[in-house]
Amino acid sequence: MSRRLARVPLLVWVFLAVPFVVEAFWVFWPAANSFSLALTRWDGIGLAEPVGLQNFRDLAADPIFLTALRNNVVWVLGFGGLSVVGGLVLAVTLNKPGPLVSLYRSAIYLPMVVSLAVSGLFWRVMYAPDGPVNGALGVLGLEHLERQWLADPAVALWAVLIAAVWRQVGYIMVLYLAGLKGTDGTLEEAAAVDGANAWQRFWRIVMPQLRGVNMVVFAVTVIDSLRTFDIVWAMTRGGPYNETQLLSTYMFQQAFTTGNLGYASAIAVVIFALAIGFIITYLARQARTED
Amino acid sequence: MSKGTITRRELLAGGMTLGAASLLAACVGTTQGGSGGGGGGASSGLVTLQNSIQDADPKAALEALVKAYPGGDVTLNSVATEQFRAQLTNYLRSGDSPEVLSWYAGSVARSYAEEGLLLDVSSLWEGDGPCAGFSDALRSLSSDASGNQIFVPTSYYWWSVFYKKSAFEKWGVEPPTSWDEFHALCENLSGQGIVPLTNGLSSTPWMASGWFDYLDLRINGAQYHRELLAGEHAFNDPEVVAVMEEYKRLIPYFDKNAASYTAQDAATPVAQDTSAMYLVGAFVSGYFPEDQRDDLDFFSVPVINDSVPTAEEAPTDGFFAAARSDNHQGALDLLSYLASAESQQQYIEQSKSSNLPTSPDVDTSAFSPLVQKGIELLNSTEEITQFFNRDSSDALQATADTALTKFLAQPDSMTSILDEWQRAAEGVFAS
Repeated sequence: MSRRLARVPLLVWVFLAVPFVVEAFWVFWPAANSFSLALTRWDGIGLAEPVGLQNFRDLAADPIFLTALRNNVVWVLGFGGLSVVGGLVLAVTLNKPGPLVSLYRSAIYLPMVVSLAVSGLFWRVMYAPDGPVNGALGVLGLEHLERQWLADPAVALWAVLIAAVWRQVGYIMVLYLAGLKGTDGTLEEAAAVDGANAWQRFWRIVMPQLRGVNMVVFAVTVIDSLRTFDIVWAMTRGGPYNETQLLSTYMFQQAFTTGNLGYASAIAVVIFALAIGFIITYLARQARTED
Repeated sequence: MSKGTITRRELLAGGMTLGAASLLAACVGTTQGGSGGGGGGASSGLVTLQNSIQDADPKAALEALVKAYPGGDVTLNSVATEQFRAQLTNYLRSGDSPEVLSWYAGSVARSYAEEGLLLDVSSLWEGDGPCAGFSDALRSLSSDASGNQIFVPTSYYWWSVFYKKSAFEKWGVEPPTSWDEFHALCENLSGQGIVPLTNGLSSTPWMASGWFDYLDLRINGAQYHRELLAGEHAFNDPEVVAVMEEYKRLIPYFDKNAASYTAQDAATPVAQDTSAMYLVGAFVSGYFPEDQRDDLDFFSVPVINDSVPTAEEAPTDGFFAAARSDNHQGALDLLSYLASAESQQQYIEQSKSSNLPTSPDVDTSAFSPLVQKGIELLNSTEEITQFFNRDSSDALQATADTALTKFLAQPDSMTSILDEWQRAAEGVFAS
C-alpha cells in the first residue's frame, strides 16, 4: 500500500492538495464553526456567549421547532415517497419506444431546469385565490373544494409539497431511466417465457437490478428533502403563522431575520444529525443485505 | 463583497494584469484611491453605497441622484430588502465594508451603534451641516445612547387609511370623523356588496401589525405602546386584550383573501373598486396605476379614546455610514449630499412614492396635495411612533406576525394566542 502511494508523483499530490485546502476552508471549517456556534448565544454583532446545551433544551420546548420537525417528517415521507414512486412509474412507462416518448421525457424533466424559487413563484400564481387551480375547480363544479391553498394551514404544506414533487419527479425519472437502460432485457424475456406476469417480472427481475440506482435515489431524496428551503420560502415563508415551517426555513428565519445565530446553528446541527442518521442507517442496511 | 468584484473589474479595465488583480483580490481593504474606472477629479476617492430600496421608482430616483453626485465616483449596489436585512451585519463587520448604507432609523441603527459599527456623523448635525435644521424628534431618533448622531434621515412617510375619492363618491359615502362613524361606514359598504377593508398578509405578515399599532395608539396611547414594545408590559395584559377585542370587531370587514395577498396585491381590489379602504404606509401610492394616484386620499384612524394624545406612525428612512470602511471623509461627503434639501426634493419628486422630506428647507409647494396633507397630518399630531419592528426589533416583529395572523384566522382563540405571544416575546427579550 505505502509503496503504491510513494509511486504517486508529487505533482498529483499538489493538485489534490489545492482542492482539499479550498474545501477545508470553505466547507469543513464553516461546518465545524456551526457546531461550536450551536453551543453559544450570538446575535451576529457582539461576542458569542457560551451557553452549553441551553439552545438544545430551548429547542425541545419551542412549539415552532416542534411544528417544523413534524412538518419535516411529513415532508421527507411525502416528498420522498411521491417523487420516488412517481419518478419510477414515469421511467418504466417511458422506457419503451413509442411516438412522442422523448417529447414526454423532456417535458417532464423541464421543470427541473427552472430554479426552485421560480417554481415557487409560478405555483403561487397557480394557487392564488382567483388563480387557475381554483378556477379549474369552479369549472368542474367543485366549488366546495376551492380554498386559499397557501393561507389555509390544513392544506398549505401539501400545496407546497405538490409543487416540489412536480419539479423533483422529472429528476428521479431520469435517474431511473438511466438505471433501466443498464438492466438486462434477456432476463425479463426468460422470466416471461417461464410464465412470470408483468408485476412479478418488474418486482423480482428489474427491481433487484436497480439496487445501485435505488441507493443514489435514496440519498438524493433524503438530502434534497432535508435541505428543502427555497420553494417553501418563495411560496409561504413558513406561514401562515409558522404552520408550513420546515427546519431549514425556521433556521433561516432564526439566523437572518431575528439574528439568533447560536440558536439557528443548533437547528442546523439537528438537520445534520437527521441527514447523517438516515443515510448511515440506510447504507448499513444496504451493506448487510449485500453480505 | 460585490465591491471587491467591481473594483477588480475596474482595475482590469484600467489595464492591470490578471496577476495583480488576483493579488489585490486576495488582500482585504486595498481599494482606497483605486478609482480606475474613469470619472476623474474624484476628490474623496471611491465610495460604495449599499442600497436596500427595492420599489422601482424610488430605486430609479436614488440611482439618478447618485449619478449626479459631483463629489466623485459612487458605486451603487442595490440589494433586495430581505437579503439586505440578512446581510447587513456582515456588511458592517467586514474589514472592507461599504461606506454608506441605506436603512432605518431607531432601535435597529442604535443596536449597531452600540457595537461600534457605525460612524459618528454628528458633524453633519452641527453648525451649518445639512442636518442641523432637522426637527428635534428626528435628532433624537438619529442619536445613539450617548447622544451622538449615527444616522442621517432623508425621508419619512405616514400611515393612514387610504381610499379613492372617486369610489367614495360613487358609493355616496364620506370619510368618517369618529370611531362609530367608521364602523357605520364599514356596515354601509358591506351592505352595498363592497369589501370595506383590504390587507395583504401572505409574504408580508407584518402588515397585520399596522392595525394593531394604531388600535393600541388610539386605545392605550403612544407612551403605553412604546413601553409595551420595550417589554415593560405583557401582551396578555388587559390593555392589550382591549386592543384585540377592538381588532376582532374589524375582522368581518376584511377581505377574506387577505391572508393570500401580499401588501402589494392588496391594493388591487381598491384600484378596481371592489374594496374600499387600506390602512397602509404612503408607499402604497406606488402600487396604484399612474392615472389613479391623484384620486387617492386618506384619513387618519379615528379617535377611540379621547383621553390619550393623538399619535401617528411615521417610519423614517435614511442612511448610515460604516465605521470600518476605508473612506470616512467620502462617506460624510456623500451623506451631506444625500441629506441636502435639493437632493431630498429631487428624490421625492422622482420616487413618486409620497415620501416626506426631513429637511425643513425643501420647498414643498410643488408636491402633490396628498403629500401636503401628509405633512399637515404629521405636523398636527402630538406623538409620532415608527412601526412595530422599528420601535422594537425584527425578532419581536416575528412574534407579532405569528400571533396576529393566527388571531385573524382564529379570533376565538385570542386568549391562548396572547399567552403564546407573551411567552415568545419573553424569549426575545431574554436573548
